[in-house]
Amino acid sequence: MKIMGLSVLIALSLLLSGCGSGAAPGAQPASSPQSAGQGAASAGGLSGEIPVGAVWSLTGAAAVYGTVQKNAADLATDEINRSGFLGSAKLKLITEDDRSTREGGIAAFEKLLNRDRVAAILGPTLSNTARATDPMAQDKGIVVLGVSNTADGIVEIGDFVFRDSLPESDVQPNTIRVTKDKLGYRRVAVLYGDDDAFTKAGYDVFSKALADAGVQVVATETFKKGDTDFSAQLTKIRSANPDAIVLSALAEEAAGIMTQARQLGIPTSVPFIGGNGLNSPQLAQLAGSAAQGAISGAAWFISNDTPGNAAFVQAYRDRYGSDPDQFAAQAYTGVYLLATALKNAGSSNPRAIRDALAQLKDVPTVLGSFSFDPSRNPVHPPVVQIVQDGKFTLFK
Amino acid sequence: MEQLPQQLVNGIWQGAGLALFALGFALVFGLLDVVNLAHGATYMWGAFFGLVCVTRLGWPLWAAIPAAMIGAGLLAVLLERLAFKPLRTLTTGSLVLWGGFLVLLLGFVGVRQEEVRAGLLGLGAALMLLGLVQDYRAPRPLLQRSMPYLAPMIASIGASTILVSLAQGLFGAQPSRFPPDLFPTTPYPLGQAAVIAPIQLLVLAVALVLMIGLHLLIARTQTGRAIRAIAWSERTARLLGINADLVIAQTFFVSGALAGASGALLGLAFNRIEPTMGSQIELAGLTVIVVGGMSSIGGTVVAAFLVGLLRVLGVAYVDSSFRDALVFALLILVLLARPQGLFGRANSTRA
Repeated sequence: MKIMGLSVLIALSLLLSGCGSGAAPGAQPASSPQSAGQGAASAGGLSGEIPVGAVWSLTGAAAVYGTVQKNAADLATDEINRSGFLGSAKLKLITEDDRSTREGGIAAFEKLLNRDRVAAILGPTLSNTARATDPMAQDKGIVVLGVSNTADGIVEIGDFVFRDSLPESDVQPNTIRVTKDKLGYRRVAVLYGDDDAFTKAGYDVFSKALADAGVQVVATETFKKGDTDFSAQLTKIRSANPDAIVLSALAEEAAGIMTQARQLGIPTSVPFIGGNGLNSPQLAQLAGSAAQGAISGAAWFISNDTPGNAAFVQAYRDRYGSDPDQFAAQAYTGVYLLATALKNAGSSNPRAIRDALAQLKDVPTVLGSFSFDPSRNPVHPPVVQIVQDGKFTLFK
Repeated sequence: MEQLPQQLVNGIWQGAGLALFALGFALVFGLLDVVNLAHGATYMWGAFFGLVCVTRLGWPLWAAIPAAMIGAGLLAVLLERLAFKPLRTLTTGSLVLWGGFLVLLLGFVGVRQEEVRAGLLGLGAALMLLGLVQDYRAPRPLLQRSMPYLAPMIASIGASTILVSLAQGLFGAQPSRFPPDLFPTTPYPLGQAAVIAPIQLLVLAVALVLMIGLHLLIARTQTGRAIRAIAWSERTARLLGINADLVIAQTFFVSGALAGASGALLGLAFNRIEPTMGSQIELAGLTVIVVGGMSSIGGTVVAAFLVGLLRVLGVAYVDSSFRDALVFALLILVLLARPQGLFGRANSTRA
């Protein structure tokens, strides 16, 4: 009797697991064409609804970026659909929340790739998540376009992985060069989060840029994502007496760090110079007066004189009642890049989309004149900005 | 070496905040031999109460912090009536209380029309109130037994999960903050080598005041005497006519108020309040009560400063990854070498 019961149990569980969703990665080789969505034509024209997935961190540690990205992507999708950019076809944006975790990202990609069968995916927000999720899209032969992944090891995952977010290795050497010229610092302290792919990659880039510029690093300290107390690390930095503090952190930690640095008596003559994580207008909101004078390198700047930027900023303000930031601009551009590739390819065949995307050159976007280089990284000019009275202004 | 004075200052004010939390833990453990693992969630709710008072009601800080303490204290009493008391004494009142609580939860979750939601919340709250009163005044319980050791701890884990989920539902999963610049950031110098920021000084000052207040409560008041009696032997205390259930509720109130104070103050100092913040401090709190032993407030306080310093100096002189690891290591070391804690008395048979 017991063995009967056990075998029934085993049979049931096998049955249930067989019904689960998700083909094993690698079960379908990347080169096999896969029709996606309704009304997909293999050649000669787009029609119907083209499903495109978007994975953003709407909750969790990176929610400050993800919510803005969602806003911008929704704005771009509506604009494209209204203006008839794709002829009679319409973009259908399917948004998922990855909760700022790898597990959440994997679940979201699973759903988009296997159940919704999207033609392409935008995101995810964090490079840390992308490293886990992009291989899934690569294996399925679906384009994934990162709009905020700036760490290493992203586009190297495969030829279906693209990004329009200038990697830190392109932006930050420019930041160091410009700030060193203007501020003339010779000794800096470096503080970075060593448990996140993005902040760690930022640290690597900054170290190299500082070494190349001949700047001495007098202290190097680390912290973890989610830490609230930085007094120990900042005390050590304070006693090393740097001219500036180079910070590779996400906005939530950055706000805490800047506030506690001033509370420990690190003078405002020692500015913070940071990477992409400091690039959120929320920083001033979170840190208040402690954010004054924070410098960051960026791919985009609100009064950038780039094609369509003024209109984009106005449209975003009208619809959402707040200013867009770089993450919004890159997400907005991402949707337009995908739409342009769809239009050029004339079909929603994933391989055709991939090839059209790879061949994009000098596309006028709010980020500037945009091209992909042979390794699918973005090419467009970066800027350096500084927080003055709660707002980002161009650093001069 | 020149950074040591500053690191010590860092450790001391953080240790003070931790001491408040740990004292609440120790009170409940000393009284009922119960490890209240929902204490961290109470701490977190104290922080949110303070936040709501400042941001949504616009109250000044000197009103918000006591309000946070009272709110957290009441929450702790509710917790005791819901999760701990029914385990040893089940009355019709506690059943009604539970029914009301479930109705209340129903009112919170799901998509409903506003009238239905308001009706459910109101009904739930009314039932809970009714249940509390009946439970308190019940002459005869339905069921009475000595509490199995682990049951209350497990119940508190469940309670903690519910409290955290409620907070996530109400406030969202990402960090909330007090408005920046509530406190000036320029610090006060302490001699040559150290500084302390105004908010950190506030944490230290309020913590010291509350610790002294707690000592006076336990040592000099009737309630304190009753608490000590029940801690010694609950049966004897009841036989002597002490209203044990009332005193237990009062103890939970004080424990919750201390957690709430700690939550509001540390939440203000670090300015990062999220539903999961309780779990971080709970490990440190547990270590403090183990290291300090159960027998005195002073022991817990000293242990709290020790653990606070360990956390800061661990990051300063070892590595930021080791902060929790060192606390854990201390916990295990003390459990192995001197399980009664540094200041506790060894287990002896009582006549």
